[in-house]
Amino acid sequence: MPFFALIKKEVYRFSSIWVQTILGPLSTALLYQLIFGSQFAVINTGLEHVTYSMFLIPGLVMMQVLLNAFGNSSSSLIQSKYTGNIIFVLMAPVTALNMYAAYLVASVIRGLMVGAAVLLGIVWFGSFHFEHVWAILYFAIFGSLITGGLGMIIGIWSEKFDQLAGFQSFIMVPLIYLSGIFYNIQNLGPFWRSLAMLDPFLYIVDGFRFGFIGHASFSILNGAIFVFVFALIINLIGVQMLKRGINIKH
Amino acid sequence: MTHPLLYPGKNKLYALEINKVSKIYKNKFQALHEVDFQVKQGDFIGLLGVNGAGKTTLISSIAGINRFDGEIKVMGHDVLSDVVAAKSKLGVVPQEIAFDPFLTVYQTLQFQSGLYGVKNNKRWLDEILAGMHLDDKAHANTRSLSGGMKRRLMVAQALVHKPPVIILDEPTAGVDVEIRKNLWEFISKLHHEGHTILLTTHYLEEVEKLCNQIVMIDKGRIIAKSSKKDLIAQSSDLPVTFEIETNEGQIAESLAQLVIGKEANKSILSVRNNDDILMILTELNKAGIKVENMNINKPKLEDIFLKYLGR
Repeated sequence: MPFFALIKKEVYRFSSIWVQTILGPLSTALLYQLIFGSQFAVINTGLEHVTYSMFLIPGLVMMQVLLNAFGNSSSSLIQSKYTGNIIFVLMAPVTALNMYAAYLVASVIRGLMVGAAVLLGIVWFGSFHFEHVWAILYFAIFGSLITGGLGMIIGIWSEKFDQLAGFQSFIMVPLIYLSGIFYNIQNLGPFWRSLAMLDPFLYIVDGFRFGFIGHASFSILNGAIFVFVFALIINLIGVQMLKRGINIKH
Repeated sequence: MTHPLLYPGKNKLYALEINKVSKIYKNKFQALHEVDFQVKQGDFIGLLGVNGAGKTTLISSIAGINRFDGEIKVMGHDVLSDVVAAKSKLGVVPQEIAFDPFLTVYQTLQFQSGLYGVKNNKRWLDEILAGMHLDDKAHANTRSLSGGMKRRLMVAQALVHKPPVIILDEPTAGVDVEIRKNLWEFISKLHHEGHTILLTTHYLEEVEKLCNQIVMIDKGRIIAKSSKKDLIAQSSDLPVTFEIETNEGQIAESLAQLVIGKEANKSILSVRNNDDILMILTELNKAGIKVENMNINKPKLEDIFLKYLGR
């Protein structure tokens, strides 16, 4: 089936450059853990029985999940557009929905694989345990669906690599870094807390961390509903863009 | 099992139906003006035009990667409303070289087969690779291939699902003579098996040799569409030359206007239509002039093409 063929190829693509796509994010997460988790271990998280390292690890894992799901769909699409080989998919009997879904699923697979690799690597440098496995899986999958979908939108829309890089540097990375990965949002002042609450990634990180430490800054149910609706909206926009062939069909 | 080349539509005659197709790009450039022609099943059609004539725009529209106004059907399936069925009947070799740098030659063909839902086709893939002279490169990364090899790989990609309609957009550009010959042998074999083929190329001798139908396009408009035989037969104003022996260059006045060259005791006469041939032979016979040589210049497709272009 074309859908599975496309997923298989996409997974093969990122697996064949595993040093860049798996080892690289693991190395970055380990550096953060070594610098922040060890050197700032005394930081008070404001949560009982939760050390800074225990607080930080889920955030670092989710950061890589989100960034890599985004990076997979966006870079794969723009590379295919740039080298021209996207034509082979466009000419094949693959519907826009199937094509979109295949790229998205591959992004989720990469996000989850990188997340698992970071978790396995970081376990040697810090401690964590699983409180609610369903929350870990739910927020990891929907987080990947959201950033994978954003990657699709940017990949479809971008005509040059610098448009993609600009979105990643000035929107994605700041939103992810300010989503409470490194600090407890409840420790911020009222103004900054209100501002931080506009960051959609905050609820993904909070829900994911809840799966590890059993504490959440916001209602988990509301967070779960929010990420579901957000993932749906982002991906409906992405599917429509691909159906219309924006910056793909002439 | 239904034979892949059997026609599923109502009108069993046409493999390709291009009905009043127009294309205006974002920058307002109109690349196609109500292009209208049909390709019968089993035809080998040459689509001729100079660079920028609209050939690739038309092919991209057929392949479903261009938006357009009008109607295009592949084996009876509308490329806009019946996309999946139309695309599954079509194999297109694009003009621009494109390849996936992450895959080997064989992986590329396997992936392409997967996109068309084709499984367990190793024997056919091996046959295509041999036909394209890429069998020794099966496990080489696509990045390591030369330009000509990449183009042949693109031809192979278009054939993985044995499509009833094959479109080749300049498939032999950058391919050496020997390999080009082998490639055409392979394509001709597919044509004899019943595949419909549409070809664009700047090597007009290839079109002349292979195609039975010709469509000429210029500035987005069809300027000629006919069978190759009729097209050549219609071009009766192409010259027949006579080399005659003359006495000190003297010839009858009625023939003087036909002289296109003189050397010592020889004159070369040219006639541009069949009636003149009879007249010239009668006059020469009357004057007792010996014809040394007569050349019937069979019209070349290139001459006919240039004539239609008016250039």
